[in-house]
Amino acid sequence: MYKRVLAAVNEHLNSEITARYAMEFARSCGAKLFICFIADKSLPHAALRNAENAVSRLFIQAEEIHVPVESISDSGDPAARIEQIVRRAEIDLAFVSTRRTDMKRRFYAGSVSRRLLLHLPCSVALVRVVHAGMIRPRRILVPLKARIDQVQQRAFFTAQFANAFDARLFLLYASPPAASLFGGHIHLTPIEWQQRLPESIAAFIKTLQQQGAEVEHKVSPGAAGKTIRLEAVAKPHDLILMGASQRSLISSLFQGNPVEEVLRATPCDLILFRPRHEN
Amino acid sequence: MKISSVTPQEIFRLLVSSPQGLTEDEARRRLEEFGRNEISELEKRPLWKSFLLQFTHFLAIILWMAALLAFLSEYFHPGAGMLTLALAIIGVILINGIFTFVQEYKSEKAIEKLRLLLPFRVRVIRDAKEHEIPAEQIVPGDLILLAEGDLIPADGRIIESNRLTVSNAPLTGESEPVQLSTEPDDHPLLECKNIAFAGSSITSGSGKAMVFATGMRTEVGKIAHLTGSVSDDLTPLQKEIVKTTRFVTFLATLMGIIFFFAGALTGRSFWENFLFAIGIIVANVPEGLLPTVTLSLAMGSQRMAKKKALVRSLNAVESLGSVSVICTDKTGTLTQNKMQVRVLWINGEIVSLSDAIHLPASVNFFRIAALCNNSTFVDGHSQGDPTEIALLQAAHESFSDISAARISEIPFTSERKMMSTLHRLDSGICIFTKGALESVLPCCTHLELNGQTLPLTAELRERILAGYTSLTDQGLRVLALAYRHATQAEISRTEIARESDLILSGLAGLEDPPRPEVPQAIAKCLAAGIKTIMLTGDASRTAVAIAREIGLVHQEPLVIEGQELARMSDEILRDNLRSSEIIFARMTPKHKLRVVTILKEEGERVAVTGDGVNDAPALKKADVGIAMGLTGTDVAKEAADMILLDDNFATIVSAVEEGRAVYENIRKFTTYIFSSNIPEIIPYLVYILFAVPLPLTVIQILAIDLGTDMFPALALGAEKPAGHLMRVPPRRPSERLLDWKVLGRAYLLLGPIEAAAALFAFFIFLSWGGWQWGEMLSSADPLYLQATTACLASIIVSQVANVFACRSYSTSAFRIGFFSNPLLLLGIAVEGLFLIALVYHPWANQWFGTAPLPAAIWWTMIPFAVILLVADEIRKLFSKPQIA
Repeated sequence: MYKRVLAAVNEHLNSEITARYAMEFARSCGAKLFICFIADKSLPHAALRNAENAVSRLFIQAEEIHVPVESISDSGDPAARIEQIVRRAEIDLAFVSTRRTDMKRRFYAGSVSRRLLLHLPCSVALVRVVHAGMIRPRRILVPLKARIDQVQQRAFFTAQFANAFDARLFLLYASPPAASLFGGHIHLTPIEWQQRLPESIAAFIKTLQQQGAEVEHKVSPGAAGKTIRLEAVAKPHDLILMGASQRSLISSLFQGNPVEEVLRATPCDLILFRPRHEN
Repeated sequence: MKISSVTPQEIFRLLVSSPQGLTEDEARRRLEEFGRNEISELEKRPLWKSFLLQFTHFLAIILWMAALLAFLSEYFHPGAGMLTLALAIIGVILINGIFTFVQEYKSEKAIEKLRLLLPFRVRVIRDAKEHEIPAEQIVPGDLILLAEGDLIPADGRIIESNRLTVSNAPLTGESEPVQLSTEPDDHPLLECKNIAFAGSSITSGSGKAMVFATGMRTEVGKIAHLTGSVSDDLTPLQKEIVKTTRFVTFLATLMGIIFFFAGALTGRSFWENFLFAIGIIVANVPEGLLPTVTLSLAMGSQRMAKKKALVRSLNAVESLGSVSVICTDKTGTLTQNKMQVRVLWINGEIVSLSDAIHLPASVNFFRIAALCNNSTFVDGHSQGDPTEIALLQAAHESFSDISAARISEIPFTSERKMMSTLHRLDSGICIFTKGALESVLPCCTHLELNGQTLPLTAELRERILAGYTSLTDQGLRVLALAYRHATQAEISRTEIARESDLILSGLAGLEDPPRPEVPQAIAKCLAAGIKTIMLTGDASRTAVAIAREIGLVHQEPLVIEGQELARMSDEILRDNLRSSEIIFARMTPKHKLRVVTILKEEGERVAVTGDGVNDAPALKKADVGIAMGLTGTDVAKEAADMILLDDNFATIVSAVEEGRAVYENIRKFTTYIFSSNIPEIIPYLVYILFAVPLPLTVIQILAIDLGTDMFPALALGAEKPAGHLMRVPPRRPSERLLDWKVLGRAYLLLGPIEAAAALFAFFIFLSWGGWQWGEMLSSADPLYLQATTACLASIIVSQVANVFACRSYSTSAFRIGFFSNPLLLLGIAVEGLFLIALVYHPWANQWFGTAPLPAAIWWTMIPFAVILLVADEIRKLFSKPQIA
């Protein structure tokens, strides 16, 4: 499904770590890796040198592990140029890093990473690196929502990612707590929660298993953002892999936005995946 | 592959750093990207928000609406006293809100205490130069310098080690220092010997570490993350209060609406119906319930404090009463944490300490025990490790004077599990060694037996191992003691060379005896249907032996060790936790959270004990987190709901009993408070259905609910625990505070009798004053004022009888005795004074719309009080005994 994978690199360490994720993923898929650095005109010389060094290091690493690799360095508006490259090189999947400074703005609004996530004509894995020492994630937490679209592609990406790192997948459905008006909170045992597992999640699990992924799953009642973070710390998991938020700003204001909550205070590295193609 | 399993060179590549450290520019960029190296609080709710929440819940909103309606009524229909009512309702909301806020507000300082584990400044190499910078500016890729006495600022991979030794006690609970090296290590991260963890301290040596995780991403940051984010679920009582208030509020509002329209149908004016609807709502809502519950919990916490259980959160008082599982540590909680040498294996047999003194072989044995020992014994006080103190005491009890100059020491480490000392004796130089048998035996070539030194044959080894097994089966911790003579030349030999060719002198069987009161406490738990689970760092044999000794297990228990638990799936652990007898051995505190979480998912109400920093998340997660007062860290104490001042398991059980008594008492005064709702509602129904003057005003209802009822209700909250409390299982989660027994008794028996008393007093007084049926009186009419006062007084007099009835659901008030609770008599006295003030004080007359009553009317009230008591006695004759 993914034959041409792009990793967007800049002067920051997190983009280099993001590119390492992309490199392992490309190796596992047998895909070609495009290491792409677009220098913004305002970029200081030292930062430019940092980014170029990162591209060189990544290129060498990719060759060392026999991943077909091509580096692209250019200047201009990063988002616009990367979009052109994705179209020209027919990229299937792009790995893009998002930074802590983006979190200070509401849900990375206006950032390059948000523009890439929304506008790139390929699937996008937006990576937030918080743990520089995590070399290979072995336990990946996959939070799910009740309605999952593009099941095939999501399952493929998830299974392939786990395969790339020889990791185990732990699926988590953070369900709204069970309650009644006069009875208040209703306690359900894990078995009772399993019986309430939404159909689309069951279908997702089945698809993952068909693709050979090793999967455990659980349902936890509670506010989604907090439940995901707590689960990630308590076990502990090395990486969270979840779908990108599709909630509008207004909807987020009223209902909250679990993705935004996890992004702000993720205890481990986080990947937000946005599939672009069904096939 | 992990950060611990790669070479130092690879670390530089992965973190894009170098032996010269980061450049200042890069460090600045990374600080912006990864944030400050600090422990922060993620979920802290602002104080103002917590305060506002107390005034915006379901019951408060209904009362706000009632107050608003009263204000509107005053605006459109002035002079009907609605302004006073509106202000009174707001007063009720404020009282309830402030009480609940004070009860729930707990200054959370656990995270603050965790912050103290990190240093303020740290030495770092940047741009190939050494700098001292604030610890919060450390970033991944920084090369930090570590030296003796330093606190470690962030998680780092060791790049250089000069006998660098750290104490990870705050993080792992392991008191033994760990020597760190640069070698790759494949163990789980917390067990790796090449990682320096934030919050740990350097005990000796020096070195360099490359930082790979800062702030909340460090292991101590994860503890902070869990401690700060694990939500304090509503306690069972809070859930019950929510259910009760929702039910009552719904009932009150529904009745208000129905009778508003019923009044309209009978032709009353809009404002009369309006007044009536508000009255019905106020009459139905038990305004005094929440403050009474809070005060009752506060009194319960005082009683617990006297039993050495210091409650930090009032809600924990009742939660304790509902626990179904107690997860407890062993050392210091079930046992005395005073190690003693109980028996020895010496000369090939097990002998008691007193018998050993007569054996020639014991001379060498006790010499090793006394000299290969770092504890001290001065003026009757011992200092040092409990095991070493026990050995030293045993040696001194046997031979009072053992001394020799120590030349050198090979210290104990958790990897070697043994230590050796080199001494100069009169007879020459000797090496003394003590440690775990599995470490010492491979260093031995001979055994001292019957005064001879025999080569260690396979047969002798088997004999030693049989002796060892026999001691561990008794739950004893076993140490092997060995020695050999050495030459002057050996003083400079290496450690491994010195600890060889040893002669095994014998084995010491030590025990940490159980606390004497624990077996009875465990038996109480069993009788009370509370499952006790032991979680200990000790070996399984020791744990099982102690568990048997204290009566915790009777059959063959299921024993799960820490490593096995780490590999176990949640499903299997869930199944295992259903076993009636289960022990967790060789546990580390990080496993506690998982056990507590699964127990809670299964619907259990869990109390857990803890003392270490990394116990904090489990303490927060449990329904009742219990910290050790004597040995607990500040972090554990801040995260806990209760602190055991004596670290004693028996104190937990006493607190559980007190908690059950508190819930039982809450049911008692709930019945009492709800009984007076009926005589408050019925006058309104009579008023609307029979076109008579309103027998009881809204202000008078509030005088009962928030005035006269409060003191006797509080006294009911101080009733002593019934004897059977710890002989019945914990109450089921499905059991309601306001169940049909409470409601039926209050609304169908006690309440109607009180209503009859109230109406009788009202109408008899009116008839004495010449009132004719159907005649409406003005609210200022003296006859009306006196009649409503008679109605009010009659309810209060009936409540005096009711308070005696409510002391038990099934036991006769006469059997309990009328003078067995002095607080009750005091409460009734205060209630009486309040009543007299209401009736005869001019200020109270003005505020509450009352008027002085003639003596004759009081006599009409007493028969009803007697009838109430007798009727409930008759009901008790036919009721089954139960809690409350």
